[in-house]
Amino acid sequence: MNRTGLVYDERFLLHDTGLYHPECADRIRVIYKHLVETGIIEKLVVIGAEKANQRWIEQVHNIHYIMKFEESCMYGLTEFDHPDNAICRDTYETAFLAVGGVLKAVDRIMDGTIDNAFCAVRPPGHHAELDKPMGFCYFNNVAIAARYVQQEYGIERVAVIDFDVHHGNGTQHTFDSDPSVLYYSIHEHPSFAYPGTGREFETGTGKGKGFTVNSPVLPGRGDNDYCKLLTQDLVPAMKKFNPEFILISAGFDAHETDLMSGTMLTADGYDFISNLMMNLANRFTDGKVVSVLEGGYNLEVLPVLVENHIRTLAGLRR
Amino acid sequence: MFVKERMATGLVTVGPEMKILEARQLMIEKNIRHLPVVDDAGQLLGLVSDRDMRDAMPSRLLEPQDYKNSLEKIGNNTVSDIMTVDLLRIFPYYTIQDTLLLMQKKKVGAFPVVNDEGTLQGIMSTRDLLKAFVNVLNIDEPGSLLCIVVENKPGQMKKIVDVITEENISLGSVLVARYWEKGKRAVFPYLLTNNVITVKKRLQGLGFEMIDPMQWYIDQLPS
Repeated sequence: MNRTGLVYDERFLLHDTGLYHPECADRIRVIYKHLVETGIIEKLVVIGAEKANQRWIEQVHNIHYIMKFEESCMYGLTEFDHPDNAICRDTYETAFLAVGGVLKAVDRIMDGTIDNAFCAVRPPGHHAELDKPMGFCYFNNVAIAARYVQQEYGIERVAVIDFDVHHGNGTQHTFDSDPSVLYYSIHEHPSFAYPGTGREFETGTGKGKGFTVNSPVLPGRGDNDYCKLLTQDLVPAMKKFNPEFILISAGFDAHETDLMSGTMLTADGYDFISNLMMNLANRFTDGKVVSVLEGGYNLEVLPVLVENHIRTLAGLRR
Repeated sequence: MFVKERMATGLVTVGPEMKILEARQLMIEKNIRHLPVVDDAGQLLGLVSDRDMRDAMPSRLLEPQDYKNSLEKIGNNTVSDIMTVDLLRIFPYYTIQDTLLLMQKKKVGAFPVVNDEGTLQGIMSTRDLLKAFVNVLNIDEPGSLLCIVVENKPGQMKKIVDVITEENISLGSVLVARYWEKGKRAVFPYLLTNNVITVKKRLQGLGFEMIDPMQWYIDQLPS
């Protein structure tokens, strides 16, 4: 059994996206409730969030963008740059807490308090670009954490694995030309799904050529293609890269009941992914892995998928 | 969409007396596949394509010394010796659709665009056309594709567009395609959003069939 951290903070609920937005506070409310009801919470080290130091956010985002974000929230605007990106007055602070929560999970792993962690944070992050919010994301939690791991702890090679059903354009672009971060993403094919990037031929630029790997999955292909592509694309890339730390962009929106996508992944498919993640972590990073919530919008299925994922992280599979 | 808005302008052009080796260097440096040849008044005389150029060059298979000798022999030839003069020209007021059909029919890679006086205005190549279609499809902007099966009767598109409008979503593009079932069409709206859940639910509520992803899968299997 592993000591697994759970980053959760009631203040994550303060980011209010309005009445009909899929990225709603209920998402993590139901996750937390489910973890309490199933009793799993007692086997986890619950970690509250604290606001990230802005200098870490500036490692990924432009200062003018950060200021524009703060300003938009202060003005009381209800969207930021695009109707997808719903905001409220508290969104800015909440985004700082989400980043801070992930960084704290990194700290706890590095000081030996825990072995690995799942961060039930919101807003999500992997679409957020240097100077642009996109697809419900404002600060790129995982990209910032990758920089943090490298700079605060002198770790050289960080692998980011993104299994949200959408391509993590923001993360890919952050590390496009950086050979010290391997970005791997498996997602619904960009001709069908948001945001329209993450094609097979996007493999990094300049010195980072070969350190970006994308596995697009056609609609309806489900578990079979996920297993096949992860085995054939991710595993060799990890062997070659030999990471010292793994960060996961964990999206549960590829599930067959999630209307956000058509990939038709089942709970078994998600189990395969979670098991693979742990095997990779055990093989390469001495078990050091921080998994961060991105998407997942079916409120009935999301908590169960997260439970399964956490059970695998904690070594609690039935 | 007219050729005028989509053609490449600010072209590198040469006079008919330029030596071919110099022109070749220019094409390599500027990464161009079609070099227009114009007179002093800007009248289009011909076009040197990269194939014209390659045809004029000695074979790479020759011994180095033979290659060098051959190059020297053609050193005094000018672009007017190798340019294509029998050109299909198009005009700025042609549409993108004209160009597309013409390209398919004539199997050429680029058309020079001239005005009514014959003065060169630009070039429209397959590359420019591809760029135009990326723009038309709007796929260089983030969005999601819906696949909807509709009955082939009037008024269907309106219902779809109404839902999209009411959800305050920008439309990137819409493709309509023949469907495998008779009397039906497939409509593919490209929505500039990540947020497709409500739209999908509402369309399904109106009785529209979203193309079943499993159908895709079955179609891909060998029969």
